[in-house]
Amino acid sequence: MATIKIDGREIPFEQGDTIIRAAHRAGIDIPHYCWHPGLSVAANCRMCLVEVLPPPGRPAMSLDILRWDAAKDAYVPEKKPKLQPACQQGCAPGMEVLSESSPHVDEARSAVQELLLLNHPVDCPICDQAGECRLQDYWLEHDRKQKRMREEPIHKPKAVVFGPTIVYDAERCIVCTRCVRVSAELAKDPVLSLRERGNLGEITVAPGRELDHDYTLMTEHVCPVGALTSSDFRFKARVWFLRSARTVCQGCATGCNAFLDYDPRNNTPYRHRPRENMAVNTYWMCDEGMLSYKRAVDGRLLSALVGGDDATLEDALSAAKDQLKGHSSDPSKVAIVLSAQHSNEDNFALVTLAKTYLGAGDLYVSGRPLGRGDTILMSEDKNPNTRGVMQMASTTPPRPIAELLAAIDAGAYHYVIALGSELEVDANEAKDALAKLKGVVTIAAHDGPLAKSAHIALPACAWAEVDGTYVNRQGIVQRSERALKPRGEARPGWELVARLARALGYAMDWKKLADVHRAMAPEAFAHAFTDRGTDKGADAASDKAPTDKGQPDTKAEVRA
Amino acid sequence: MSQKVLDLLQAKLGSGVVETHSQFGDDTAVIEPARWREAALFLRDDPRLAMNMFVDLCAVDYLAMNVEPRFEVVCHLRSLQHAHRVRIKARVGAEDGTEAELDSLVPVWRGADWFERETFDMMGIVFRGHPDLRRILMYPEFVGHPLRKDYPADKIQPLVEFREGTQGKLAPFGPDEGMSFGRQTHDYSRGEN
Amino acid sequence: MEPLDLDIEEGQLELASEPMMLNMGPAHPAMHGTVRIVLELSGETILKADVQIGYLHRGFEKMCERGNWSQIFPYADRLNYVSPMLNNVGFSLAVEKMLGVTVPERCQYYRVVLGELARICDHLICNGAMAMELGAFTPFLYFARAREVIWDIFEEETGARVTHSFGRVGGMAKPPSADFKEMVRAGVPRVLALIGEGEKLLLKNRIFLDRVEGVGRISSADALSLGWTGVCLRSTGIPYDVRKSHPYLVYDRLDFDVPVGTSGDNYDRFMCRSEEIRQSWRIIEQALDQMPDSGPVDLTDPRIMLPPKEEVYSTIEGTIQHFKIVMEGIKVPAGECYSYTEAGNGELGFYLVSDGSGTPYRVRIRPPCFASVQGLKQLITGQMIADVVPTFGSLNMIGGECDH
Repeated sequence: MATIKIDGREIPFEQGDTIIRAAHRAGIDIPHYCWHPGLSVAANCRMCLVEVLPPPGRPAMSLDILRWDAAKDAYVPEKKPKLQPACQQGCAPGMEVLSESSPHVDEARSAVQELLLLNHPVDCPICDQAGECRLQDYWLEHDRKQKRMREEPIHKPKAVVFGPTIVYDAERCIVCTRCVRVSAELAKDPVLSLRERGNLGEITVAPGRELDHDYTLMTEHVCPVGALTSSDFRFKARVWFLRSARTVCQGCATGCNAFLDYDPRNNTPYRHRPRENMAVNTYWMCDEGMLSYKRAVDGRLLSALVGGDDATLEDALSAAKDQLKGHSSDPSKVAIVLSAQHSNEDNFALVTLAKTYLGAGDLYVSGRPLGRGDTILMSEDKNPNTRGVMQMASTTPPRPIAELLAAIDAGAYHYVIALGSELEVDANEAKDALAKLKGVVTIAAHDGPLAKSAHIALPACAWAEVDGTYVNRQGIVQRSERALKPRGEARPGWELVARLARALGYAMDWKKLADVHRAMAPEAFAHAFTDRGTDKGADAASDKAPTDKGQPDTKAEVRA
Repeated sequence: MSQKVLDLLQAKLGSGVVETHSQFGDDTAVIEPARWREAALFLRDDPRLAMNMFVDLCAVDYLAMNVEPRFEVVCHLRSLQHAHRVRIKARVGAEDGTEAELDSLVPVWRGADWFERETFDMMGIVFRGHPDLRRILMYPEFVGHPLRKDYPADKIQPLVEFREGTQGKLAPFGPDEGMSFGRQTHDYSRGEN
Repeated sequence: MEPLDLDIEEGQLELASEPMMLNMGPAHPAMHGTVRIVLELSGETILKADVQIGYLHRGFEKMCERGNWSQIFPYADRLNYVSPMLNNVGFSLAVEKMLGVTVPERCQYYRVVLGELARICDHLICNGAMAMELGAFTPFLYFARAREVIWDIFEEETGARVTHSFGRVGGMAKPPSADFKEMVRAGVPRVLALIGEGEKLLLKNRIFLDRVEGVGRISSADALSLGWTGVCLRSTGIPYDVRKSHPYLVYDRLDFDVPVGTSGDNYDRFMCRSEEIRQSWRIIEQALDQMPDSGPVDLTDPRIMLPPKEEVYSTIEGTIQHFKIVMEGIKVPAGECYSYTEAGNGELGFYLVSDGSGTPYRVRIRPPCFASVQGLKQLITGQMIADVVPTFGSLNMIGGECDH
């Protein structure tokens, strides 16, 4: 394996790697602003300059400079090695790079940092990036000095609305052009570009347009400073109060890996951030997915409903028992509806209830209707676990809801036990059809059409409140960690299925998540609980995650 | 602190010394828990070491760093004659906090008495052979070991409950308004998650 | 009832008698620092004693784990609250030892002088309280008046009389005021004059001497094995003083003696403290003579010290420096360190464990009087109840430190 040396440490590199990419693979951090592993190289920030030693026998490439010599009180000519940008310089076998161990590199980094801060506004107290800002981190690590400029910093437009999701502050911008490249290369919509030059440089939206493609929040995500801010997250929370949970986006079947940032003090989620997973979503997430964190809180079913009225869980369970009386005499009259919105654990619990205890074999699947997809990340299937549900009940493939309604019309069923709240058919049709049945129980996290149509609805935890596994459209099983504490009266879906079973008189005594997994073990999904995919977690060099104050990691606990 | 102490300790105990390090001017030896008492006696009795001053004994809970064993019992010693110091440590305890047991050093230095009681009280480490291992800083009815990382910092276990209806801060505006005592001024937790 | 003219030993009484349990409870004027001693008495003699501390336990070590390194200074003050400056200095030295930095010389002298003033306060109150509990109220008031002089100096320098929170990692909160040296040079002789008057009332007083001489005696071997340090150890004859054995700050440039007792009884402890006050004055005098009048007091390393406020409000670099230090804390390198200084009661140790972040992972405070008070049981067993009072007073148990 070909290797290069960085500060005396040998690291391997692959064909075509630049120094910074080889270092990134090895976990070495070379400070940078404009480089991003998922974007093309711009090499305009000059922060990643490193000293590359000449090959043996060759002279170093050096520059003639004048250095001030205090002892002689005059400028003296000197030679200084020419530093190379690590993001652009390709690796060659045996190359020796000095990053931390070269005084020229230290001086260069300090100088670049000084330059970037020359006209920077004193915005830290009001800037959202504070706490995850590279300017702050690199100043303390590499500069630690006051700037030498005594003029008034230049003033540029602040709080420029680029589009419905992004606000731009030109004074904070260091013109690294990451946002320009994201729009052009990721979203395939080159709507942003750079105007003016020198210290007047700023990012601008193409005339007559808005920043309105599907990946605008990625521009905010890659911005290393607080120049681009998301109008959704602006001024809502300070990042050092936020903890991050490693979750899976629930917006569509792509199953992008995400961090859900929440404040444990008030149990509220504040934003999503993409998590690196080269197999699924590389470094990115779409806007719809980024904003889908709100579904942990919005439109939730927080207490049990009996006939549309609030009730306690116990009352709802006993009402369910009454309504479902007589199901055991003819199990074929019970229809089971699984949910492509819920995790494998919830669906498995319902399948177990159906097949093992009730003896009901008619499975259907509900979920959100198809939506708009694209060739970049978004899938048309807006449900995170469709394949999971299909694979779960592979012997009796679940059928779509439309067939259930047809069957109800034909009088095939008296009871429906369902998971989930979404329906891909017309809500009123479903309501009319289900109203004809003797008992309809749904275990739902949101107050959607199915929950409204059901006779009894039990409040389930949303994805953010419980550990769960989801199978994305590629068939990869992914685990989502628990972030929030359950809201209202919500309980995990599998727990509600078990309690419903016990209310109906069956001995389904699952109490902990471990019980569910033990039961699932023969299935192919249980091994999802060893981390799969390249889960770089919170240490991705391209993205500084908020720091915890030394508190225990958000290791998801098994909730009893 | 002294490197010489570490060398002699390693020579005597061999594999009983798990590792040694010197950091910030301090010398530390990590001792196998089974040979804790033996190491202590050696440190006290060997004339080249003569550690006759018992300085400190405490414990550190490494739960947040996900290491096993979970606790480290740390003991600092000094010699009056030689004026050198050493820190010896022993790692005990499973992740859930059980199996945290170690031999008591009270038979070796009488000064270890209250320090071990405090370590037991705060961290839950049981010292075998301690003459009187009971709580020292907390009251006897207290449940749990407060300095452990999984004990929440805002949990209270009052023996006398706060008075009814005294949540939140009450400004004493007059003789009838507000109470200056018995009121709950902070949203403590009683331990339910 | 036995006839009164019969001369019988107590043990021979025909009436069965049990030892009496007496609770010298936490709410007791002599149990300052709040300590409870459960005594088992036979008449006036103590058969067994159980010393129970923990009434002032405030969970400092747990609180230190939730915040920054700089936020520990208020907690440090409230440890030995009669000599708070010594705790501040001790903790700053501990963190600076882990960071590997040394404060400028002017700051070192400043810390020494403030520390010694605090030590004088500590010893004054210990001796005064002990005398007061024996019935000599006047010397206590004289010593308290002397302490007021010192507290006025502290108020001028730090802004507070008692809990200053004046120490910082890498320096002090503010540089010395312009009149610092004059104030101290004028104040301490007044203090010594007042102390002299108070001691004149005590040192030849038959009652006082009878109650403290020979009472609460401990051998040096016992004291050593119990982990005693400081005045309590020195009163038994062992000359261990951290300032001499492991000099820190500028103590190696200052010339002073370490008073040592002979018999380890209450009288020796009283006299050791008394003499240490005079030695502290010697130290202060020399330190004031040697202390530079100009020059920096704080380090300027942006990773440790806050920038001047004008810079914070007007430059981005100042804002960033302030922001990083306040929001994330000083990043102390990962590892562990034990740092010790001579506090009022003996060797005050800070054992710090850092995980590399701005929040301490574990702060262990080694209280000197914790070790001293564990010897109280041995001192009072076999003595009479009345002896508990001066014995306990001479140990100088400070509740805040013992119970942290």
